[in-house]
Amino acid sequence: MAHRRSSTPPTAMGTQRSTIPAKAGIGLRFQHHQAVVEGRPDVAWFEVHAENYFGGGTRLRYLDAVAHDYPLSLHGTGLSLGSGEGLDDVHLERLRQLIERVDPGLVSEHLSWSAVDGIYLADLLPLPMTEEALAVVCRNVDRTQTCLQRRLLVENPSSYLRFAASAIPEWEFLAALAERTGCGILCDVNNIYVSASNQGWRPSAYIAGLPRAAIGEIHLAGHTVKRLENGQTLRIDDHGSRVAPAVWSLFAEALARFGPVPTLLEWDTNVPPLSVLLDEAARANALLSEAGREGRYADAA
Amino acid sequence: MLLEVQRAMRASLLARDDRGISAHIVPVGLTPEARLAVYRNTFVAVLTNALRLAFPAVSRLVGAEFFEGAVRVFIEAHPPHNACLDDYGAEFPGFLVGFPPAALVAYLPDVARLEWAVNRALHAPDAGHLDLKRLAALEEADRAQVRFVPHPSVRLLHAQHPVDAIWHAVLERDDAALAAVDLAAGPVRLLIGRSLDGVAITRLGESAWRFALDLFAGEPLDAALVRLADGEASALLADHLAAGHFVDFRIHAPALRPLLGRVS
Repeated sequence: MAHRRSSTPPTAMGTQRSTIPAKAGIGLRFQHHQAVVEGRPDVAWFEVHAENYFGGGTRLRYLDAVAHDYPLSLHGTGLSLGSGEGLDDVHLERLRQLIERVDPGLVSEHLSWSAVDGIYLADLLPLPMTEEALAVVCRNVDRTQTCLQRRLLVENPSSYLRFAASAIPEWEFLAALAERTGCGILCDVNNIYVSASNQGWRPSAYIAGLPRAAIGEIHLAGHTVKRLENGQTLRIDDHGSRVAPAVWSLFAEALARFGPVPTLLEWDTNVPPLSVLLDEAARANALLSEAGREGRYADAA
Repeated sequence: MLLEVQRAMRASLLARDDRGISAHIVPVGLTPEARLAVYRNTFVAVLTNALRLAFPAVSRLVGAEFFEGAVRVFIEAHPPHNACLDDYGAEFPGFLVGFPPAALVAYLPDVARLEWAVNRALHAPDAGHLDLKRLAALEEADRAQVRFVPHPSVRLLHAQHPVDAIWHAVLERDDAALAAVDLAAGPVRLLIGRSLDGVAITRLGESAWRFALDLFAGEPLDAALVRLADGEASALLADHLAAGHFVDFRIHAPALRPLLGRVS
């Protein structure tokens, strides 16, 4: 595999940017805009979906206020880094303008695709894990980082199928992507658990296979178990419940390997009161402090 | 190979045609079709939710089941072209006109047009404000030739039914108000724009409507004023300026982008 170093500056451009602490943050959804801006809850940082703020009006006012009071991370869901036909220039430009406006501490996207022939398929769709796909994603990540003048974090998606052509384990694909483009990795522990369960991998092998130095953020969320007619089960990454016990265990395993990193609690379906999210964040914070105190990650090399 | 897989996946999600993509999927445990159904469910659910947020009154008027059925047909004919789903649904009012099951509710497309105008008022990009001092400093002859540049959040809508009253009653779940709407009351002319805390919908009289139509179409001020009665002009213009409906002005500039939801 030909290794190529990107010319993209891999680090932030040295402005007054607020950095995201290695603590638990919360995914901010519209339901909690007002509660956060008026109540200023004790949360280390917030993350929002970038595309929800591509327009103007009241929402953007709220985001300005949140960015003023808290470290903010922008998480993209629609850039389609895996599109064989390249990126949507307009989308990239809107993302660039939003970044310029709120100056987020982190910017992330997904190892997936969602657009083909100019049509947006509204989901994080799986890629065949091939050299061809790796070259495409590298090209698109390079272009994004050059345009944004930022290091991008790329997140492992949850998946429900495997392509016959897939020859590279997903963790190796991510490692190669980080190596070639200088991007970081957003390790979604729930997605690892969901994909591993749906595809028969060992979640621990995934965590162990990721390059420690590239991990810039962790995501945690709830998922559901769907029982199918033939008695088999499928885990669905719906972000609609508390983090599952097995995912908390995997999170502890991830922290033991990566050390404390910014960790986000996501909840998108049936969004509960803010207090529930604060409660989940407190639980993540306890594990993060423990990992920091014990310095276990230092011994995990 | 990648583009081939992506096009086959598109056929599966959009046209429910799994034939191309199934051959690429490892058939272990669940069938490829069962696995693809997970993605299709998300695809449809995400877009249905986006359209329900943009068209809440239409959704309530026809009920969840009807709405979801209509949306499924709509998505296949008009899939989104970008990932910003606040921008998705511009064709939905027009689609309802040609969707036979919707013909039972004659005012449905008009309600949808109003909701799309409201959606744009909420989510259109921010823009600056007209500098009134610059306007005041113009020579009188130049002032007569001023062509205003409208704010991207402002829309004009001419509807055959009193859709503003219907829309309000439906969203407030006020059955008495809905029952009291006089569908035969004739057309309404509406100006929809951004207010401090959301959206403002204003009914315009005949002359105010013509004036707004002229100004928003980039007609020069003197041409727009000709149609107004004496004394009417300054109040109407002041209302537009105070509400921030214009972001800029030009003199002797070419006509600007059309803003109309519909003129009949």
